[in-house]
Amino acid sequence: MATTIPLRHPVTPSPRHLRGKTIRNVVLFGGLAIFTVWTLFPFLWIISTSIKPDRDLYRRVSLLPQTITDAHYSEVLFETPFLTYFRNSAMVAILTTAVAMLIAVLAAYAMTRLSFRGRTFVARATIVTYLIPAALLFIPLFQIAQQLPFSGEALGLVIIYLIFAVPFSTWLAISYFNTIPSDLEDAALVDGATRLRSLFTIFVPLALPALAVIALFTFTHAWNEFLFALLLIQRDSQKTVPIGLAEFVVGDVFAWGPLMAGSLIASLPPVLIYIAAQKWVVSGLGGGAIKG
Amino acid sequence: MAAIPGIGQRHSAVGSAPRPAATRALGRDWKIAWVFLLPLVLVLVGLVAYPFVSGIILSMQQKVVGQDPTWVGLRNYRELLVGEQYSGIFWNSVRVSVIYTGVAVAVKLLLGMCMALLLNETFRGQTLMRAVLFLPWAVPTIIVALTWRWIYDGSPSGLINYVRIEFFEQQTLIQFLADPSLALWSVIVVAIWQGTPFYTMMFLAAMQAIPTEQYEAASLDGANVFRRFSDITLPSLVPAITITALLSTIWTANSINFIFALTRGGPVNATMTFPMLAYEVGIAGARQLGLAAAVSVLFFPLFIVAIYILTKRMLSVEGRA
Repeated sequence: MATTIPLRHPVTPSPRHLRGKTIRNVVLFGGLAIFTVWTLFPFLWIISTSIKPDRDLYRRVSLLPQTITDAHYSEVLFETPFLTYFRNSAMVAILTTAVAMLIAVLAAYAMTRLSFRGRTFVARATIVTYLIPAALLFIPLFQIAQQLPFSGEALGLVIIYLIFAVPFSTWLAISYFNTIPSDLEDAALVDGATRLRSLFTIFVPLALPALAVIALFTFTHAWNEFLFALLLIQRDSQKTVPIGLAEFVVGDVFAWGPLMAGSLIASLPPVLIYIAAQKWVVSGLGGGAIKG
Repeated sequence: MAAIPGIGQRHSAVGSAPRPAATRALGRDWKIAWVFLLPLVLVLVGLVAYPFVSGIILSMQQKVVGQDPTWVGLRNYRELLVGEQYSGIFWNSVRVSVIYTGVAVAVKLLLGMCMALLLNETFRGQTLMRAVLFLPWAVPTIIVALTWRWIYDGSPSGLINYVRIEFFEQQTLIQFLADPSLALWSVIVVAIWQGTPFYTMMFLAAMQAIPTEQYEAASLDGANVFRRFSDITLPSLVPAITITALLSTIWTANSINFIFALTRGGPVNATMTFPMLAYEVGIAGARQLGLAAAVSVLFFPLFIVAIYILTKRMLSVEGRA
């Protein structure tokens, strides 16, 4: 007897317990199934549209493709300036991310580790700036940007995108730097390291998860931005993907096949970066931003 | 006045040499601090403060693109609030903006909470599920808008109309974006689809900060799922809910992308939110920059409250971290 007891389940589940578990599973997996369908059906529709021949799109409509074609993809890639748009977007997004992160790391270090008057004021100004809606600024910025020399070029967008990217990155970096114990740095400073060296050899390596989240958010924002690109860029050679794609719609004629093919390709960079950085997102946000 | 003992002594205890006046007034590291802060300050002043002020000045000018401005004082504001030509469309945009933002934020909050509660459970495939449900957030808004335009398409090729005809044997086509009574709701659905994952992310992050001991203790006391939610989860989430809802209110109200790509404010101004109105007045149609700037400035007071609360909350979180 004594030898058989430990092999059995320690507590026999009561019927009430079992019923509770069943209900939990039904709610959990039923809920997840509904949310998955709701989230994924537009993606399936994009994919399905992008590989269906025109005949199946407009005349003999079907949910799933009857025959598969790569015509829309080759049209987007080789008969439109899509690749130029893609290159412009990549350049703008990468540059915005790099510049914003550099500015943010320097500023966050100053605000968390240095003692000076005006610290709170700058911190507050950063947050207020982050919160001021772009819709409030786009009319005056449109007027100002028209008079600047780089206006109309993709690179000029980098400067505009710093409006969002810098305050956001700085704020997230501040929250994270605050969690790094100061003893680490004090030791280095006693050894004679300069402030700049201690920032890049101690803080930046420790803050990598937060920096990954910052990079993800700023890259995605710059890659996806539409309004300012639309206002400021006219020449085809300077267009980014979002405005380039929007112009596949000529008048009221929508070439849905190429449009969806282009949309799929254009979604890949942020989605792939997001999947790669995903494990840090929740912890990065929780570690700094909204820990209440 | 007698010197307060203690304050001066603390200084001399830390630094052995007497400190110069500038250091005492501006702080120990003021020089290097402002060198590090210079780029940030340039962005804040040059890209935000300066356009902000010039927007207010612009709103008091009559300015057509390509022409010199003339000062008109508050005439643009009067024109929008009570004027014959623009007051109708302005007050319409107030109504549309409030419905659009209010409904979208409320539903995103509710769905985001449900999604986060489900994802916070332990089950196999949790990581994959999270990645899938967060996907809409990463897709460019303009692509989301174009995709939904295709889903809503008013011909038998549009997904919804196709499904209705094929599987539910309906005879009529619904014009989701061209029917004035449906257009706003159709746009709101798209905003909800893309916006919910942000709420889920923020709530999930906050839920994972709740110590599991609290739930174990409650379980032992016999509290059921609903009691655990209302007694433990919800109270711990209040700061996250406040911050997320306020942030999202600012962003939702000010975003132009969905409306621009789906309806352009139409049909008959049914989806004309205020940023879309500013765009139409200032850039697309009349090209009246001064009037358009006044539209934006008039809406700013609505956001000051949200910005004020958020700044206080975010600073206090930063201080505690």
